[in-house]
Amino acid sequence: MQELEFITVVDRTYPWFPSAQDRDSIGIDMPNAYYDRDLGQQVLSEVLQGAQRAERLGYDGILVFEQHNTPLTLIPNALTAAAWLAGQTKGIRIVANGPVLSFYSSPVRLAEEVALVDNLSGGRLTLGLPLGIGAAWHGYAVANPVHARPRVDEAMALLNKIWTEDGPFAWEGDYYNIPYVNVWPRPRQDPVPVFVPAAGSRETIELCAKYDFTYQAILVPLPVLQKNLELFRQLRAEHGRPDDPSRIAMVLSVHVAETDAQAREEVEKYALWGTQNIFRYQFHESFPPGHASQGSLRGMMSGGYRSADVSQTTWETMTHGPLGVIAGSAETVRERLAEATGLLGAGRVILNTEYTLPMWLQEKSMTLFAQEVMPHFRAPGALASWQRQPAAAYQTEAELIGRTPRRAGVPEVVMGDQTVPLYPHVPGTR
Amino acid sequence: MTAIPEAPVSGPPVEKVDLRGAEVAYRRRGEGPPLLFFHGLGFSQRWHPLHERLAERFDVIAPDLQGFGDSPPESWMTGFDDLALHYAELADVLGLHRFHLVGHSFGGWVAAEFASFYPERLASLTLITPLGLRVPGDIPRDLFRMTAAARLDVQLNDRTAEVLGDDEGRPGLERLMQDYADLTAFGRFAWNPRYDIRLDRRLGRVTCPALVIGAEEDRVLPSSHVRRYAELLPDAQTTIIKGTAAPSGHGVVLQEPAAIAAAIESVASRSQSQAGAQ
Repeated sequence: MQELEFITVVDRTYPWFPSAQDRDSIGIDMPNAYYDRDLGQQVLSEVLQGAQRAERLGYDGILVFEQHNTPLTLIPNALTAAAWLAGQTKGIRIVANGPVLSFYSSPVRLAEEVALVDNLSGGRLTLGLPLGIGAAWHGYAVANPVHARPRVDEAMALLNKIWTEDGPFAWEGDYYNIPYVNVWPRPRQDPVPVFVPAAGSRETIELCAKYDFTYQAILVPLPVLQKNLELFRQLRAEHGRPDDPSRIAMVLSVHVAETDAQAREEVEKYALWGTQNIFRYQFHESFPPGHASQGSLRGMMSGGYRSADVSQTTWETMTHGPLGVIAGSAETVRERLAEATGLLGAGRVILNTEYTLPMWLQEKSMTLFAQEVMPHFRAPGALASWQRQPAAAYQTEAELIGRTPRRAGVPEVVMGDQTVPLYPHVPGTR
Repeated sequence: MTAIPEAPVSGPPVEKVDLRGAEVAYRRRGEGPPLLFFHGLGFSQRWHPLHERLAERFDVIAPDLQGFGDSPPESWMTGFDDLALHYAELADVLGLHRFHLVGHSFGGWVAAEFASFYPERLASLTLITPLGLRVPGDIPRDLFRMTAAARLDVQLNDRTAEVLGDDEGRPGLERLMQDYADLTAFGRFAWNPRYDIRLDRRLGRVTCPALVIGAEEDRVLPSSHVRRYAELLPDAQTTIIKGTAAPSGHGVVLQEPAAIAAAIESVASRSQSQAGAQ
C-alpha cells in the first residue's frame, strides 16, 4: 500500500444568498449586500473548528484557500488565515493556498508575508501559488491577465532567488525593477514547501519540475492528467530529481458514512447545491483575455472542457470515474482512494468536504475517515507526518543553544575605550 | 420597416507588410487621398460596406489592428505609445505622408492616441463611437464580460443577423479561437485602465479638422463620451448618425455605411478647403 498524506480543506462557503438559475458567475458581482455580519462570523468560526478538529484527529495537514469577490469562501487572504490558524493549533501542517502573485504589486511583499507566517507557525507553512482563477481578475486591477504568465514567471524566479540567495541584490526584470531586494525575516523553513495548483499547462509542469514544487492537479480529465504527470516525472528526472510521490498532490471530494447509501443520503444535496450555485462560471467569465494561451485553450476546447453546463451536473455524473466524488462506507472510500492515487502515483491527497455541510455531519465524516481510512495508508503506528518529522522551529532553549554553528554576526558595543560583545555568553556566535 | 442588408461585398485580398518583425495584415482598395481605418472589437478580418463606399473617393487601408485578426500579436507591445509608433511606421512603409484617419470604438481610441502623437500627419480625424476617455459616472459597457456573440448583439442592438447576414460561417472552434485572440488583443491595451486620462490634455495637440460620430442608442458607450471628445479636440464637430430601420447603435459603422461615408467625406472636404485657404 502506497503511504499517503491527507490534507483537509477547511474553507467554508457562505450560503446565505438567493439561488438563481440565470447568473453568469458567482465570482465577480454577487452583491455583498447579502453578507450578514453574524452569519459571516459563524462561517469563519467553522473554519477554525474544522482546523482544530483535523489536528485532533491526526490529519497531516489543513489547507486554507483564498478566493475573491465571492461567497465561495470568506477567506480572501490565505496567509492571513494561516497566521490565525497557526495560533490556534499546535503541530499540524498548514497549507496557505492562494496568494496570487499577479495580485501583488511586488513579489517582495509576498516574500515578507510568507516568511513571517512561516516563522509564526514554527515552520509549519506550505505555500500554494495558483495563477488565479479567471473570474478573480475582474476585481483585481493590479495586473493585466494578458501579461500574467510572463509576469508570474518573473515573480517566481525572484521569489526563488529571495529564498535561495543572500540579499541585498538588485532585480532588473521586465515587470519588476527593485534596486534592493533584502527580505527580513527569512522563512523559518529552508525552503518553504510550495504547491502549485495546476490546470495542465506545460509551463506549470516545467515550473514545478524546475523548483521542486508539488504539482497539485485540478480540473483535468484523467488521461490528460496521466500524460501531464508522465511529463512531470520526466522533467523532474532531467533536473536530477528522483521520482517522489509526495510531489504529486491530487484533490478528491470525500464523504464517509456507515454505508454507501447513508453517505449519499448525507452529502448529495449539499454537493448539488454547490454545482447549481457556487461553481457556476460561464466560459467568458472563466477566461478573461489572455488567461489561457491559444495552445491551452485549443486543447481544453477540443477536449470538451465544460461543454456541459456545470449547474446541470447530476449525482451520477459527479461521482462517475476514479476522480469523481467519493461518498461511501469506509471500505468503499479506502478502495476508491487506493485506485485514484495509484492511477496518478500521487503521495498526497487534498480532501474536500462539501463546504456547506452541517458541522455535525462534517465531524462525523472526518472522524470516520481518521479512524477507518487514514490508518490503512500509514506505516504501523499511524502517526501523522508532522508527528514523525521534527518541525523546523526549535522547541526548547536547550535546542536553541545546541544548534550551531550560526551565520550571524556578533553585536558589539563601545564602552569608554573598550569594544565589548553585547551578549558575551551566547555560544556559537563568534 | 425592415432593414435590407447591403449586398455582400467581396473585399480586396489580404496584404501583409513586415515592420521589423511585426507583421501587419491589411486590406486596401480605392483611389484618391489615403485613408487609414482602424476597426473596433469584433470587426477585424472584414471588408465592410463602409470600406467599399469610402473606396469610391479614397485609397482605403484597413489593417487588422495589432494582435487582431491576421496581424499576429507581439508580446512587447503593451501600450498605446507602442501602437502610435507602430502605425506611424506602417504609414512610413506604405508611403503615406499625410492621410485621413478613421477609427471605430477601440479603433477610435487608437486613432485618438495616434492623433495626439502625430497631429501633423493627419488631414482629418474621424472618431466613431470612440472608447478611450474617462467621463466620471458614465462607464462604458464591460465588453470583457460577455460572449463574442453577445458583443456583436450589444453593438448592433440585437440586429446582428439583419446587419451581418449569414456572415458567421466559420467552424465553431476556429471562430472561438479567433474571437478569444481578438479579445486578448483588446485586453492587452484596454484591460486596465479602461481609459487614458492623458488624452484629456494630449488631444489639444490635434490641429486637423475632426468629426466625432455618435449613435442614437449606443448600448456600449454613453453619449457623453462623444461630446467630451468634441470638447477636447480643438477643431471638432459632432454628429449623431440616425438609423434607417431602427435606432443606430454602437456598431453604426456596419448599420449605416452610407451616412457614415458621407460624414467622413464632409470632414475630409473641410480639411481640403482649409488646406486651400492656407
